[in-house]
Amino acid sequence: MKKNSIKKISSFLLAAAIAVSAMSGCGTSKRASDAESGTAASGAAATLKDTFTYAQGADPRGLDPAMVDDGESAKVICNIYEGLLKYNKDSTEVEPGLAEKWDISSDGTKYTFHLRKGVKFQDGTDFNAEAVKTSIDRQLEPKVTDDMPYSSFVFGSIKAKTGVKEVKVIDDNTVEIDLFSPETPFVKNVAMVMAAPIVSPAALKKYNNNLNEHPVGTGPYTFVSWSKGQNIVLKRNDNYWGTKAKTENVVFKFITENSARVIALTSGEADAIDGIDSTVVSQITGAGDKLFTSEGMTINYMAYNVTSDKFKNVEARKAFSQAVNVPEMVKSLYKDYAVPATSIMPSFMNPNTNQVKQTSFDKNAAKTGLAKAGIKSVNMITYSNPRPYNSVGGQVLAEAIQGYLKDVGVTCNIKTYDWTTYKDVVKKGDYDVCFYGWNGDNGDPDNFMNLLDNQDPSMNVARYNNADYHALINKGLVTKDGAERDKIYTQCEQKAADENVWLVVSHSKNLAAYSPKVSGYYIHQTGITPFAGVSVSK
Amino acid sequence: MIKYTIKRILLLIPVLFGVSLVVFLIMRVFSPDPAPVVLGEHASREAMQAWRNAHGLNDPIVWQFIDFLKNALTGNFGTSYYTNQPVMKEIMARFPATVELAICAILFASVFGVLLGVVSAVRKNTAVDYASTILALIGVSMPIFWLGILLIILFSGTLHILPSTGRIQPMLQPVGGTGLYLWDTLTSGDFEAFGDAARHLIMPTLALAMYSLAIITRMTRSSMLDTLNQDYIRTARSKGISSHRVVKHHALRNAMIPITTVIGLQFGSLLGGAVLTETVFAWPGIGSYTVQCIQKSDFPVVQAVVLIIATVYVLINLIVDLIYAFLDPRIKYSKEEG
Repeated sequence: MKKNSIKKISSFLLAAAIAVSAMSGCGTSKRASDAESGTAASGAAATLKDTFTYAQGADPRGLDPAMVDDGESAKVICNIYEGLLKYNKDSTEVEPGLAEKWDISSDGTKYTFHLRKGVKFQDGTDFNAEAVKTSIDRQLEPKVTDDMPYSSFVFGSIKAKTGVKEVKVIDDNTVEIDLFSPETPFVKNVAMVMAAPIVSPAALKKYNNNLNEHPVGTGPYTFVSWSKGQNIVLKRNDNYWGTKAKTENVVFKFITENSARVIALTSGEADAIDGIDSTVVSQITGAGDKLFTSEGMTINYMAYNVTSDKFKNVEARKAFSQAVNVPEMVKSLYKDYAVPATSIMPSFMNPNTNQVKQTSFDKNAAKTGLAKAGIKSVNMITYSNPRPYNSVGGQVLAEAIQGYLKDVGVTCNIKTYDWTTYKDVVKKGDYDVCFYGWNGDNGDPDNFMNLLDNQDPSMNVARYNNADYHALINKGLVTKDGAERDKIYTQCEQKAADENVWLVVSHSKNLAAYSPKVSGYYIHQTGITPFAGVSVSK
Repeated sequence: MIKYTIKRILLLIPVLFGVSLVVFLIMRVFSPDPAPVVLGEHASREAMQAWRNAHGLNDPIVWQFIDFLKNALTGNFGTSYYTNQPVMKEIMARFPATVELAICAILFASVFGVLLGVVSAVRKNTAVDYASTILALIGVSMPIFWLGILLIILFSGTLHILPSTGRIQPMLQPVGGTGLYLWDTLTSGDFEAFGDAARHLIMPTLALAMYSLAIITRMTRSSMLDTLNQDYIRTARSKGISSHRVVKHHALRNAMIPITTVIGLQFGSLLGGAVLTETVFAWPGIGSYTVQCIQKSDFPVVQAVVLIIATVYVLINLIVDLIYAFLDPRIKYSKEEG
């Protein structure tokens, strides 16, 4: 009996061993570090030294700048690739990147970029005008594919005769980009992390026009590996043309749960984390870690449906807005991690909109105005989950406003949906009031202000349609950067405020945390996280 | 036995058909439109319409289902809408993590569950029995999510002795093996990596195993009590066989049949992906990934995952049934009985 059992158990173990070995092919594996260098397992030396570990909430969608539209991808991509231009560290003004300088023709339709010489892609091939042309042409008709979400935004569409008409290689180091019509925001588009970075033509050929898992750019870090759901490892690009990155390795860890990310930081498993909210601040600072905050390129707002019976009248919208004490509400909901909005554009963007006057809190006036408009109840729709511009989620914000309106005798009936369903519901337009927000793309005022001129109801949720406003937007699009253009967008801001199309609520702050051992860490206003200047002391 | 096995495998067909139909209808009828998620906020309505046409989402639902079945039968689950990568590649990048965690959890739950259950039954109404009852009650009642957070706070946040998230340190990560890190690191002789992978597994295993441990403990206890009251046990005792031998060879083996069923069912559900455990410990498995795909209306991935999990579940049940014969030679899967 005993012998039998032993026999059975050993046959089972043997069978299991054979099965698992068969699964693995030869039955052996290498470490990620060794596989990369081609050496055998090398003991403790393989543990990462000189490493910056960054924990974010999710995997990137991909690592091909033409094929992504999410913030998680942007944080990795901005360390591997570069564009012709880049944003200044402290603002959304552009400065030289892979192009040393650029000229714009007097009619605003020809952009000539003079490229940096001696730059190489991480695969060893040369960066030149041909590479710029390849990177842009793949995102224009007829080559553009439907998995390139930002292509039309950054480079326009030949079919629709918007944006880039043609990319011309003048010589190895000069490229001319012709536009169909003048578009002042184009220069900002070229600095974006989505679509605009220049990718290696050789890599595109090798990987069948898809670099999502094989990114090759000219940036300060080279891609090493991506374990789905776990981490991405980057290594310093020692052939980088500019100042070399301070830290040798960067590891992006993906930790979905907010509190788990915080523990990863406080226990030393991560050197910095993002995607946190005000509820965990005391836990972070209590453990001796540091907070990073900066005003984000966002706007969090409540929109009136100006085509609805209740709010087609500007006086009704004004009275409703007067009922809400925005600064008090923002302080209560977001603590110090959002700035009460006084304009649609964040304060760091040009033009400065300090002089724009929004409708201010006046409970008595609200009561009178709403009674005059005969408004006793309104239908509100909102989203359930937190958004980058609204860390508490749409429902909490809607309920706060519901409270203010109750004080002036108006009942708000709130319907809440998950975000994806919500976007479908918004398109139908069956609401008096809805909640939305915007994450800026390129730091240009047109990117914020044209939301109220958009024909797509899922973008222009207020369904505002005004000929004067439309004329201002069109004028701003072709006017060169400077005082005249600033004036146009200030007028747009004031018009939107006067007509009370939105109740602007807040600009979120970028909130992140890092270990005191880390220096040089920051989140740019556009949300990207360049790590070349980050170092970790031992 | 062979006929029975074939018959059970053939039964997979209606089960998988039913499962595909239900998941297909739920995803296609009740899920939001994937086009805005895939194409982004800047996509025009025309572009979205063109994308839906290209992916057959504007076809009649019956045709869509037939297309899906045809492709699934040839093992072609398509590409993920969101990442544009082959679905099977996306799934296989994550499935080994779920399998490894499920195996560890079920091993832990089975060994300790059976042990505790037997001790409770043999020492009925003693302090040991009461303690195991309380443990089982806690295991069944405590939400995994909360238990996971408590474990992280204690072992990572306070004591700093275990890593809170992930499967292994990035540079120790084995590549090119089975994806089961314990096995891969052991077979390649990389004991440093093996130790690191084992440390990462401890807390997720504990959190995930707790519920199964409780169920197995209670099932073992009641099954053992039932068996220990049988006449043949009394006969064995009266023949002077030692108490240890009676429990081990006469009682436990007979009590194991219902316990095996429970272990099999528990293992099947653990393989389905432990969403909460995977989320808390950032464990890169199939459960949390599927939830993300449901939120993004990534139909091809969700449909493929559900089909694969259903297949695994049915096969595990079959294996459990076959194990009965091993445990109890009186069970024969003859034609009459089948």
